[in-house]
Amino acid sequence: MVNVRIKDLLIGLIVTTLLLVFFQILSTAILPIFELTKYRLPFNILIILFLAFKLESPFLAIFILLFQYIYSFFSVEGWALGTFAGIIVAMIVGYLKDIIHFSSAFLTILVTEIFQVVWFFVVSMLIYLQVGNWNYIFEKMSRFIPESLVISLIAPAVFAFLDRVWKIDDQDGANSFRGGR
Amino acid sequence: MRIVEQKSPRLRLIINITVMCVALYAVSRREIAYDQTSPFEKFMIEVMAPVQRSIVFMKTKVSTTIDDYLFNVDASYDNRMLRKKLFEYESKIFGYGEMEQENKRLRGLLAANPEVKGKRVMAQIVAWDASSDFKVIRINRGSNDGLKLLSPVITDEGLVGYIYRLSYNYSDVLTILDANNRVDGIVERSRTHGIVEGYSKNRCMMKYVARTSPIILGDISLTSGLGNIYPKGIKIGTVSRIERDSYGITQHIELVPAVEFGKLEEVIVLLWDGDQEKRKDWDELDGVTHSGGDR
Repeated sequence: MVNVRIKDLLIGLIVTTLLLVFFQILSTAILPIFELTKYRLPFNILIILFLAFKLESPFLAIFILLFQYIYSFFSVEGWALGTFAGIIVAMIVGYLKDIIHFSSAFLTILVTEIFQVVWFFVVSMLIYLQVGNWNYIFEKMSRFIPESLVISLIAPAVFAFLDRVWKIDDQDGANSFRGGR
Repeated sequence: MRIVEQKSPRLRLIINITVMCVALYAVSRREIAYDQTSPFEKFMIEVMAPVQRSIVFMKTKVSTTIDDYLFNVDASYDNRMLRKKLFEYESKIFGYGEMEQENKRLRGLLAANPEVKGKRVMAQIVAWDASSDFKVIRINRGSNDGLKLLSPVITDEGLVGYIYRLSYNYSDVLTILDANNRVDGIVERSRTHGIVEGYSKNRCMMKYVARTSPIILGDISLTSGLGNIYPKGIKIGTVSRIERDSYGITQHIELVPAVEFGKLEEVIVLLWDGDQEKRKDWDELDGVTHSGGDR
């Protein structure tokens, strides 16, 4: 039984939205100042992976859509591609939930990296269907590797913060949002 | 109030499939050339962009203060101004050379191409796109400044791209580094046509150039004016690599963009309406195609 109070849900969504906006401003305005224009950290993936890992709600797809929509204010990529990939990843996570654990920082990094790879494959598949060109995918992969590693490395800290925001009870390994208690 | 009383896999599945279908539909309907924004999206961009701008502004202020007052007093400022002027003069000389060549070629023709008219709007770069897949920059000028979708964006060094997404006071520029941006280019020396596309490592690629075309390293590529987005004669880049196989009909040509994107701070947006005669012809052709299709 998963009980979610609207008040806790709204607080979680608002704080997570603000965090995403903060991260996106960091990524789009501060990194280019230091001439890091080639790489951009995909914080939207990190946020959506957190929701997929730890939020048990039938409305998860709508939350993913919401965060991708906010992300689209900062990127011409739009919301649709990431929403599709996010839901696929969330469905896979849903099936594997019993064997996914975040008991240590290393496991969190590992699991985050694995599911970023899944995300990459889904997005690449869609891009290939549109573009019909592997070169673009290979070039994307060369950027994906360092970007995803950085995202995975910061995942334990961000997840710990979001655990508090969403009041995640992680002690029994259930890793699910049980707000409103 | 509780919104979920129990695990409901069926509801979850229905929502998942519905949202995925909507997302897939949106992906398939996505316009490649430009992105039409809704009033809400415009509003949100208007809200977010000033924050991004303030960070750039703060950095500029801090670094300018350090450069001007701590390191060089006035020398840094003078140097920047002189370099800016030098770029302007170089650009003018380059433009005169192009005009001279163009005059020679077109002297015999009855109708010369009209010069590019219209306003030039200076804009500052506010941010880069959140995804590294897209080489898109956000500038602090929008529809309130007269910008339109597909307006060309340049610097004194050369071509930057065109307006891809427009808000009231901000807009996103799809740069020539982006694989989605295709510019009809011409090699200045040999007048060979090709399509310039974004490529990896801040380079561009000139495609569809015949293998027999005599391209050499250092050749300069310019906009050809075809496509009616960019005016003719804007510098795109310099040929930095050529690969010719013993088979095939084209050659692989890499360009180093004329614009140094890593250090780009300000750009000029040309409020250019394109060649109206060409546009009329194309509209008429489109009309013929559409009416033909209806039949």
